Amino acid sequence: MLLEALLIALWAGIVGIDLFNGLTHIHRPVVTGLVVGIILGDVTTGLIVGGTLELIWMGMVPLAGAQPPNVVIGGVIGTAFGIIIGQDPNVAVGIAIPFAVAVQGLITLFFTIFSPVMHKADQFALEGNYKGIERINYLGLAILFVFYAVIAFLPIFFGAEQASAYVETVPQWILDGLSIAGGIMPAIGFAMLLKIMMKVEYIMFFIVGFVLAAYLNLPILSIALIGLAIALYDFYQNKKGNNNSGPREEEITDGI
Amino acid sequence: MESNIYEDNTSAQELSARQLRHLAWRSLLLQASFNYERMQAAGWLYSLLPGLRYIHKNKKDLSKSMKDHMEFFNTHPFLVTFIMGVILAMEQKKEDREAIRGIKIAMMGPLGGIGDAMFYLTLLPITAGIGASLAIEGNVFGPIVFLLLFNLVHFGVRFGLMNYGYKMGVKAISKLKEGTQFVSRAASIVGLTVVGGLIATYVAFNVSYVWKSGEAELAIQADVLDQIMPAMLPLGYTLLMYWLLKKGRSPITLIGITVIVGLLGAYFNIL
Repeated sequence: MLLEALLIALWAGIVGIDLFNGLTHIHRPVVTGLVVGIILGDVTTGLIVGGTLELIWMGMVPLAGAQPPNVVIGGVIGTAFGIIIGQDPNVAVGIAIPFAVAVQGLITLFFTIFSPVMHKADQFALEGNYKGIERINYLGLAILFVFYAVIAFLPIFFGAEQASAYVETVPQWILDGLSIAGGIMPAIGFAMLLKIMMKVEYIMFFIVGFVLAAYLNLPILSIALIGLAIALYDFYQNKKGNNNSGPREEEITDGI
Repeated sequence: MESNIYEDNTSAQELSARQLRHLAWRSLLLQASFNYERMQAAGWLYSLLPGLRYIHKNKKDLSKSMKDHMEFFNTHPFLVTFIMGVILAMEQKKEDREAIRGIKIAMMGPLGGIGDAMFYLTLLPITAGIGASLAIEGNVFGPIVFLLLFNLVHFGVRFGLMNYGYKMGVKAISKLKEGTQFVSRAASIVGLTVVGGLIATYVAFNVSYVWKSGEAELAIQADVLDQIMPAMLPLGYTLLMYWLLKKGRSPITLIGITVIVGLLGAYFNIL
């Protein structure tokens, strides 16, 4: 079992990276099913469980950056147990879901802990140290690889029952709380943008954008187009003012 | 306030098709260092880096440009190459840094929404659906067909948009050359309009608490907060974060506060 568990861990590490980087989608359960099936010597069951998980988890995609239950660990552990225990795919899903949800929480935590590293990156940027920037990105990849490999290895090597019991000792409110925090987190990013971009003269456009989304529920593209329309109007007004009546500002002050 | 204009103001040589392809490959690692403070910023900078080094031979300009691109950035990981193309064109022409930032931010939000609709809600369900239906019958070609179909579109779009964005950027800039300060003003207008919309759309902050008294039920979110103003909490929380940042609090502190808010909210069943 050790060799199989290690190979599955290797696969989990690779597709764990693919989930965010590369995005060739070899991390989807339909592909993982085939690969885990090959590793465990039962391709047909692997394909069937993987295909079933794929259909069930079709909607588990990171829409607007929100983290869904983790499809990598769900797919790897689901298909592995589907084959090892010989259960039907729906039971495999039942085993996989607590893992998928727990890993979702851990990923939220990882995205939080990795934030301080950005200050090192700022320093590298200031120094023009491109190698430093590259190292930070490779570090992120390495952590993801090890993280997924370990998470996949443990339950497969030690057995599903122990692992499930252990996962269930994590109180639900912690997982919920991390996921709520993950939903609020973009506010910090937007606040940082505001800090850089906001000037008193621009507040009105910020308000327009907010109202269009909050009250009229317009999609972002339409809001961007409205913003573009305003910006074009502003641009041509300015240009006109600049070319034709150069001393426009003076005129106004003179009038007063 | 440091200058928004690059020291070396002469346009750099155009990037070759080969260089653009190389950068498109690098864009695969856009989310390698994803985190809640800057999201894709360091990966975005990683993707652009060889291009920026080719464009900015001046050490100070390279440092300025790298610093700018470490600012918060988040878009769709498939469509990012379009923004890369446009931004590289602007960097190459040594556009005003504020204009570059404005255009970058104005594009990242809409492309995020379009990418979700194109890839996650259309392409993935279709190709994975075909693959899964074959796999369930035990057919080995299920996963292979899925990967081929999906990545044909994925890589086609990724590399195509890089070229398209760059060519379009170069063309648009030469047309807009007069009145650069108005361009950066216009870019800031679109950028801030989009940020206003993003806050209402993408910050998920809802009160799930329902106040009960005998027969009467009062859902705080739907019956009270949404009546006063929809997306009030996302706006309020973002402005609070903005205020704390201006007060000199570090983003790390804000992330810590947010995690605590989430945990407390879940523990007391409020959020």
